[in-house]
Amino acid sequence: MTTAGGTPLFLLEFGDIVISFTPYTTSLFILALVFTLLVIASRPERQLDIAFGTDAYMTKEISLSEMRFRRFMAIACGLASMGAVVTGDLFDFCLFTALVGICNVGIVAAVKSRHVQNAAYQYGLVALAATVLLFGGSAMVAATTGTLSLPILATGTLPAVPLAVKAFIVIGVMGEGMAPFYAAKAEMFRAPGAPYVIMCSLSSLLIFLRVIEVVVQL
Amino acid sequence: MIGQYYSWGLLVVLIAAVAGFAALAFEKDDLHRLLLIDLVEIPSLGFIALLGTDLAEALILPGLVVGIAELFALSQIYLVKEGLQDRPVRALRIEVVQRSPAPLVLSSILVVYGVILSGFTGGAIAALGLIFLFLAKDSADDLHLLELASGMSWVLWIAAFFVFMFLPEYWYAALMGAAIGILIKVVTKLALVGTMWGEQA
Repeated sequence: MTTAGGTPLFLLEFGDIVISFTPYTTSLFILALVFTLLVIASRPERQLDIAFGTDAYMTKEISLSEMRFRRFMAIACGLASMGAVVTGDLFDFCLFTALVGICNVGIVAAVKSRHVQNAAYQYGLVALAATVLLFGGSAMVAATTGTLSLPILATGTLPAVPLAVKAFIVIGVMGEGMAPFYAAKAEMFRAPGAPYVIMCSLSSLLIFLRVIEVVVQL
Repeated sequence: MIGQYYSWGLLVVLIAAVAGFAALAFEKDDLHRLLLIDLVEIPSLGFIALLGTDLAEALILPGLVVGIAELFALSQIYLVKEGLQDRPVRALRIEVVQRSPAPLVLSSILVVYGVILSGFTGGAIAALGLIFLFLAKDSADDLHLLELASGMSWVLWIAAFFVFMFLPEYWYAALMGAAIGILIKVVTKLALVGTMWGEQA
């Protein structure tokens, strides 16, 4: 059984949900694992503000509870991305992706700044709207092919999935993955809390890479 | 696999989704947007429900849970960003309801009906009965017992799943265990939500 990601090195079966570690998904999984461990081990940094025209600078005060919450969210985000990159079921992929979206919002929403929270709120609306396309897409895949199992879909013996449905899934993942859009919000990009914001970018990158593999095989 | 009217159903759901998105695009107020996004979530469940199979029934629950989780998260962010956290939430203080035996009768009917239904739906109905009772009565004292029952039923539920996996020949006992476990779990969890809501006042 060869998929777009290569021949599976190892199959983990839970009933009819088969998690396959192909060379492609395994490398994504290891990336997510390494960064999650880094988030667990790393020490948070404080942001510096320089007073213009003088030599003075000040560090921003960030409370311990806020940092704890953001670390928890970053770890949850890492676990969700690990699930999303290895899962062998389309609906599970959508659920994990939606979880990544929630965690991404959680990482930035803990910042005690009204502007950052405003941006996080708007972003959360986008993520919530994207679940419509995500779940709609996977439900339509089940309707046209009769299965949600990615290894079975990859065999190519089933009826072809319409292009619009593939577009639904891709746009849904784009809405959930924060990375390309959060850079457009200035306040969100410079939100304090150095090591944890990286999970936003990394998880988006991983789910983008995985959704390409998923859509190519449909 | 799919029914005869699937395409028509799909059309209706798509129109509903487009209408929801259009409303979102026009709306400028943040709170109204939150309410509209809840409305937009419904077509996403509609897409799944259109499958019309057992699978759809199993998939709706996680879809719903994810939607509600995101909605909770967003409303929390809204409360923080608008600075609305210190507003007290009041319990139902209706004198007539508090003094009459009506809540007890109504909630016991709901609980008995819920137990007969069993499973997740039954749990939700029985929990409604308990929430009504707790909201109507003034005090809630035995929270520890509820928490204990919630934890124990969770253990029962998980144990039933292990029986399914490792001792499949006892599937009937496992089925009953899982059904009772999820029933008590949902009842206690929702009832706890109800009492804590009342306690904040």
